[in-house]
Amino acid sequence: MQRKLLFLLILCTTILVGCRDDQFPSIDQHQSFLASMNILEPSMTFYGESGELIAEWKFDKGYSGALIVNNHVLFYGHQLTEADIYELSSGKLVSTIKTGVGSTNAYYDLTYKRVFITNSVRNSVTSFDTQGNKLDECSLGEYPMSMTSNNGLLYVINYKDSKLSIVNIDTMDLHDEWTINESSNGILIVPEKNTVWIGGHGKGNKANRTVDILDLKSGELQHQLDVSIMPVGFSRSEDEIYIINHGSNELHATNLDGQALWNIEIGANPFTVANFNGNVVVAGFDDHKIYILNDQKLIKTIDTGSGPFQLLVREVS
Amino acid sequence: MKKLSSKIWSLIILFLVITVVFMSLFTNFLYDQLYVKDSEESMIEVGERLQSNYQGGKVTDEFVEKVEDFNMYSTFNVFAVRNPKELSACVPFEIDYDTLIGPEERRQLLKGEPITKIGYEERFEREVISVIVPLTDQNRLEGIIYLYYPLARITELANNEVIILISSVVVFSMLLAFFVHKGLGHIMRPLNELQHAVEKMSDGDYKTRVNVSSKDEIGKLSEAFNEMAAAIQSEDEDKKTFLATVSHELRTPISYVKGYSEAIQNNFIEGKEKDDAIQLIHREANRMERLTNELLQLAHSNRDQEKIDVYPMVISETIRESVDLLKNQSKHKEVEINLELDDSLIVQANEEKLKQIFINVIENSIRYSNKKSLIYILLKASGGNAVIEINDQGIGIPKDDLPYITEPFYRVNKARSRADGGSGLGLSIVKDLVKQHNGKLLIDSELGKGTYVTITIPLMEEL
Repeated sequence: MQRKLLFLLILCTTILVGCRDDQFPSIDQHQSFLASMNILEPSMTFYGESGELIAEWKFDKGYSGALIVNNHVLFYGHQLTEADIYELSSGKLVSTIKTGVGSTNAYYDLTYKRVFITNSVRNSVTSFDTQGNKLDECSLGEYPMSMTSNNGLLYVINYKDSKLSIVNIDTMDLHDEWTINESSNGILIVPEKNTVWIGGHGKGNKANRTVDILDLKSGELQHQLDVSIMPVGFSRSEDEIYIINHGSNELHATNLDGQALWNIEIGANPFTVANFNGNVVVAGFDDHKIYILNDQKLIKTIDTGSGPFQLLVREVS
Repeated sequence: MKKLSSKIWSLIILFLVITVVFMSLFTNFLYDQLYVKDSEESMIEVGERLQSNYQGGKVTDEFVEKVEDFNMYSTFNVFAVRNPKELSACVPFEIDYDTLIGPEERRQLLKGEPITKIGYEERFEREVISVIVPLTDQNRLEGIIYLYYPLARITELANNEVIILISSVVVFSMLLAFFVHKGLGHIMRPLNELQHAVEKMSDGDYKTRVNVSSKDEIGKLSEAFNEMAAAIQSEDEDKKTFLATVSHELRTPISYVKGYSEAIQNNFIEGKEKDDAIQLIHREANRMERLTNELLQLAHSNRDQEKIDVYPMVISETIRESVDLLKNQSKHKEVEINLELDDSLIVQANEEKLKQIFINVIENSIRYSNKKSLIYILLKASGGNAVIEINDQGIGIPKDDLPYITEPFYRVNKARSRADGGSGLGLSIVKDLVKQHNGKLLIDSELGKGTYVTITIPLMEEL
């Protein structure tokens, strides 16, 4: 009898410990948050509207990026063979997608409710439904990474190639290819102006200092926007576009036409910028800090995990 | 067989090689410890001094120029870098070029710590010592000051002269080997001479001697060898003389016996002459018997030098018995023997051998005493010894002969001796027997007056 009790106790403990491994602090479904994906010591930190820490998820796996879709978050890693989907409200792992080694980025198209994951080994993009079932795959150029979509088309920058691939979301066929600079990174479509904004590091050891603004229909270069050193990240508000320059630690703001409005030196080696709760947020990769700006002024600095590389936002109205 | 000199030579060469290897390793160590460390330290010092000119913010053109200006006059190569691409700023992204510093180094520099590296740098296509000093402002790596110095290893320094270096080492080693060989030959020469001398000795050439040219161990060995050779030579000569004497002593009676017996056989002599001849043959046979007996005794006394059976005994008794045994001889010569003996003395001795000593000595005294003379025998204790003095009034021994009187077959007057019936071995036997009893034999004499023989035997220690 006593043996049976002991066995049950050990079993329960094992199950509980096992559960705890896959369970992180939960996030309220109605909570708007800003999440920072930290990649030097992989973790995700969640902050509320006033910048307060809601939760911290620390990982054993070497995740290099994340994608938030409503109540779910998908973690992928360049060296991992699979991506994991967690439910935010429970903090539990709900499913795993086989991706193969080489995942570089993940993107979600709201209209078609499709998840896209680019792969630098197979040089392709794969589409999944919201349950994580693989749908289709399309071959692209060398090292596809930055993605955005507009009007049924997925725009993918091939990082180690000199072309941008446009894929039909519905058929997953290659729709068009435009010539762009090598080592391009960061893409933003401004539908109001029919333009596509493309940033980049610059080829070789020559640092890029411009943002190319292309025509959304033809892909022709409309004009080059002089910014600072290595603009690689974009975000926008209703009437302003924010460009983060990691080489010079500068955030530049322009209007939708590309006219410079203001700029500020912020963070140490920042790769990412986001808009959250009416503020502009920047993460410094080298100083492990998140900077919150409002009306061109720094209003808050938050210490975050090691190596914040991506800022993700969920705003619940 | 390998010669000793070859072994020493090989040992010296081995030590030389070990020394050369050790010195080169040690030089390398010193080079690393002193030269490299010193270079590192001065580079860090220079780097930090240049770093102190940086005021924060973006690295300006003026600062870069200032570093370039310094580079023109500096012993090190110095340059400032502010291109974030060279500083691995893009590292989370894959990069398609060689950056000046890696991501790990970037992290260390972000902490404000300088970096020191030693090794091959692809950018400079050679081995360098490099020091990287960060230019940081508010956790931002705005730039670096890169200092490097080509690591001219000693081998690289000597690269051009490597043939000269190797050939000088070879020539030096050969010269050294030659001189060591010559020097060893010089040192080993007396030893070689000694070896030849020993070989000659073993072939029977006992006159061989070596030159003693030094006072070291080999010199002492040579001296000892010469002494040993002299001793062997003298022993050899003594042996030859002894054998010649024995042969001579035996030949005379044999020729008598042979001659007279032949004469009797062939009936050349008759009557009384024949009787005399038979008596002579008998006497000579007795002499030979006695001679061979004594030779046997001498041989025994030499051989049994260390092992005789001794026991406590009253010495005066033995003297009296000896005198009794010689009563006929003394009576025949009308010699009176006066005894003055201490009967309380006890010695550790072998009775038979002790008796032999006294018989031989007293017999000699009777033999060389004048007719109707006296022989005094005195026994007393002195200094833990029993002292026996035998004093005759005989013909005496010349002073010059005294030292040799105990040698076998030594006779003061050879012409006279045979008539006396002595073999010439008596005193030699006495000397050996006294020695076996740990005693002493002293012979003094005055020519024409008499001889004084003193025998000392240790008394038995009282328990």
